[in-house]
Amino acid sequence: MIDGLLVLALLAPLVPRPPSLVPLQDTTKGKAVYVKWCAGCHGDGGAGDGPSAAHMLPRPRNFTGAIYKIRSTASGQLPTDADLMRAIDEGLPGSAMPAWKGRLSDGERRDVAGYIKTFSAFFADTSQHAAALKFSGEPGGGTGAAALKTGRQFYDSIGCRKCHGDQGRGDGPSAPTLKDDAGFPIFAADLHQSWRFRGGGSAADIYHRLRTGLDGTPMPSFSDLIDQKFLTDEQLWRLAQYVRSLSPPDPPEVRDVIHAPQIAGPAPVSPDDSAWARADRYWFPLVGQVVRKARWFAPAVTGVWVQALHDGHTLALRLSWDDRTQSPDSAWLGFEQRVLETVAGDDSGPPKAEPWPDQLAVQFPRRLPEGSGGMERPYFLMGSETDPVYQWRWTSRPRKSVAGLARGIERFDTLPGALAGQASFDHGEWRLVFTRALATPDTANEVQLEAGRAIPVAFFGWDGSSGEHGSRMAVSTWYFLALDRPTPPGVFISPVLAMLVTLGLGLVVVRRARRRGTARAGRQR
Amino acid sequence: MTAPALRRSATHPFWQAVGILVIAYIVVVWVVPLLPGSAIVPKSVVLQYMVTVLVGVLIYVSDNEERWARFKEPIEAVLAEPRLRVVRAVLLVVVTALVGLVAYGQVATTVAAPPNLRSIHPAPPAEITFRGRSITLTGLENPLRAHPESLALYLAEGKGVYYRNCLPCHGDHLDGQGHFASGFNPLPANFQDNGTIAQLTESFVFWRVAKGGPGLPREGTPWNSAMPKWEDFLTEREIWSVILFLYDQTGWTPRTWEKTGTGDGGRGTGHD
Amino acid sequence: MGKLGAVAATGVAVLVLALGGWMRAPLPAAQGGGTISGKVKFTGAKPAMPKIDMSEEPKCKAKYTAAPPTDEAVVVNANGTLANVFVYVKSGLPASYKAPAPAGPVTLDQDGCRYHPHVFGILVGQNLAIKNSDGILHNIKAKGTKNRPFNISQPTTMTSERTFTAPEVMVPLECNVHGWMHAWLGVLPHPFFAVSGTDGSFTIKGLPPGTYTIEAWQEKYGAQTATVTVAGSETKTADFGFAAK
Repeated sequence: MIDGLLVLALLAPLVPRPPSLVPLQDTTKGKAVYVKWCAGCHGDGGAGDGPSAAHMLPRPRNFTGAIYKIRSTASGQLPTDADLMRAIDEGLPGSAMPAWKGRLSDGERRDVAGYIKTFSAFFADTSQHAAALKFSGEPGGGTGAAALKTGRQFYDSIGCRKCHGDQGRGDGPSAPTLKDDAGFPIFAADLHQSWRFRGGGSAADIYHRLRTGLDGTPMPSFSDLIDQKFLTDEQLWRLAQYVRSLSPPDPPEVRDVIHAPQIAGPAPVSPDDSAWARADRYWFPLVGQVVRKARWFAPAVTGVWVQALHDGHTLALRLSWDDRTQSPDSAWLGFEQRVLETVAGDDSGPPKAEPWPDQLAVQFPRRLPEGSGGMERPYFLMGSETDPVYQWRWTSRPRKSVAGLARGIERFDTLPGALAGQASFDHGEWRLVFTRALATPDTANEVQLEAGRAIPVAFFGWDGSSGEHGSRMAVSTWYFLALDRPTPPGVFISPVLAMLVTLGLGLVVVRRARRRGTARAGRQR
Repeated sequence: MTAPALRRSATHPFWQAVGILVIAYIVVVWVVPLLPGSAIVPKSVVLQYMVTVLVGVLIYVSDNEERWARFKEPIEAVLAEPRLRVVRAVLLVVVTALVGLVAYGQVATTVAAPPNLRSIHPAPPAEITFRGRSITLTGLENPLRAHPESLALYLAEGKGVYYRNCLPCHGDHLDGQGHFASGFNPLPANFQDNGTIAQLTESFVFWRVAKGGPGLPREGTPWNSAMPKWEDFLTEREIWSVILFLYDQTGWTPRTWEKTGTGDGGRGTGHD
Repeated sequence: MGKLGAVAATGVAVLVLALGGWMRAPLPAAQGGGTISGKVKFTGAKPAMPKIDMSEEPKCKAKYTAAPPTDEAVVVNANGTLANVFVYVKSGLPASYKAPAPAGPVTLDQDGCRYHPHVFGILVGQNLAIKNSDGILHNIKAKGTKNRPFNISQPTTMTSERTFTAPEVMVPLECNVHGWMHAWLGVLPHPFFAVSGTDGSFTIKGLPPGTYTIEAWQEKYGAQTATVTVAGSETKTADFGFAAK
């Protein structure tokens, strides 16, 4: 012990001490803030074991080890005060940690950052304090083909695909074995959803994470590779820029109405038909089903991209979503078991991992709402006994699509007749197309897809390899689908008329004013 | 523009009118939504406000003969003066184009989401059945408040209930922005807002928690609400304790029956 | 029989490397001094260690021609003793004892998608050279609690160096790309530690006179302690015994 201290004392002068980055933190006030706003998740003792912790994946941070994912310091080093402030201010997207800026005052946030440091002796030991790494600025041309090609080259050569998969959807061969330091299952990040990156989604954020690693997770630091000249700093930037390019430029905005343009040809039945290039993509976030027993707090399908087209007779609906596995996949059974053991539910014990399939459901009311306002709909969560909903359901095994009526989560009655559904799985992405005639004979049960109407629609998703089935699913509330009609030429008549009339009137007014002006001028002369 | 020219404009009735219209627009569109408890003003309402302001301005300028004449000066100048020929032409083209655009927008209607006419605090029933037991809501107070000595215990219990059940939607800050909130429309209730629990009696909140979305009357759009029917999950005491927690954590005080009377069923007056 | 032979061969290989690692550690400052040696016995049925499927890494898989590699959590020697038990002086050193300056690195090699050695010790402040002989992606993660952790990517043949600041028994090391790769590192402020070899024996040399608490740590079966008093340059015996669970 004495010797350990001796060595520490010897090493202390070698470690650079960072300048104090924030004003003095009042840990007494910080404790009050912590107890009121943070302890519910992070626990009174900071061990990440508050009452809500068992309902979360990822779990809340355990402060006692002073191990932080999002830092500006080298792998394993303590975060700087600025790093802690950033996590508190901005939150950790994709987790339950909200941004506290605007929710707590500047002083409260600063004090609570001071208080969480008291949970670990490392912060008290000044020899452990670390300075932020010196990050270079982002080189230009990051969205160009040459830069992305370099980035992709290093994506392959440094083995990113081992966990993140060939196309970056977190489906690499090592992904099902991943655990965090506490032994909880952890997903390799889906690099196509940069808006869910814990440390931010910009190329600079990604570069910083590559340099520092994400402590407590399997994500290592790549700084040693620059030191050992395996790659250059610029090449690491290119990698970051390549990763950034996998996600949309901006986080997807949620829009209420899916517009299905009318096309001339037959509506596409295949998910890889070129006609889909003509349809806008709509993003719908899905969240855990926490309304009915058994609730599910860790939904794996975070959202679904929807496209729609129609040809006047048939509607084609294309749904694509990221899923690491083509369930059931025996390689993921162990992971599934760990997820079920980690995330608390309404069962007395964790359910046993089983080879569930992936599933997706699209929901409509049986009939379009009528009458004043026309907004009444069945219950969003799969209808009810007395007011069922009409659903299209797809499963990955057996690979089939059916239409039917759901009367609550528990009851689904298949309707006669096949539903056309075609799905393909490609590197962590499902692409599914449902097609159905706009009008069908069974008008009592099957929604009639009328053009020009707002048709209520909702979505449900299951990832079998995360133990999802039945009520354990990801849900949405009601949105709308609208089948657009092509603009008839008649629509242009009235605007043109209005313009002509306006122009004519304008000219008349001007002429009269000028005549009056001339007359007045004449009188004055 | 030079300072004297600015001053001249500031006293000119035409530019005064323009100024008032611009200020009114800024206030209605940008300032009003910033006021606590307000939302973005719908376009149709903005138009109504602007027409009202315009009429007021016209009445003011035409009230006095000389002011009216001065008001018209710049307008007539643009219409008639040869030196302003370019301005005149540009104005004609712009106005014509605008009219065309507006007319097109009117005709080429696209399908929009139907308006969601939703009563946020619908009238509660006088009585509910909680797990087979009848509870009279009218005049009902939080029974846990009758034991002030145990309040800390109840609050701790309520906090646990909140974090285990309510957090994913209503959020760490109780502002309706939990990590599942983005999936729901309407958004989960924001308890920090002065328009939710601050306006309600605890018995109303008890009804909403116990019966959830499915227990809403038609005007509350029960088909949309993701609020669970908590009587399936929580005991009566757990619900009362989490209600205590909601008020304690946000700092609001519940409405009491003395203040609201018994007639409006526990809703805040002047709300909805 | 062939399987057993292969296990034994692997055990020998591991031990040779383990000893190699340990031998490179600095020798005790005081030559002479007391010695504690002993054996780590094992009783009960030898647990069957699960096979490791390395199909994902053909380069590693190819290195195990005789038999598929197995988990190393319990390595029972041919003579019924346990290898890979970390034996060290837990307490009893005089307050005046001064640790020798750490010299030369301790090397941890990643070869055949396994760590060599599997269990080893290091001095506080001494360099740990982490070598990737495989030339395929490994990440090396240290999950200490008294020491700061680290997690380094090694996608190619390379060596990284790290040190530890505080005594800690044991620091788990792991690779997340290959979930089966585990190693255990004992960080101590003194050089009085050893790892049991292929015959289950260990020797700690150069101890100043005194009464010591010796601990034997096994990754699956936990730790046991013994109290030993040494005077002058005598050799004392301390045997440990672990039973199958």
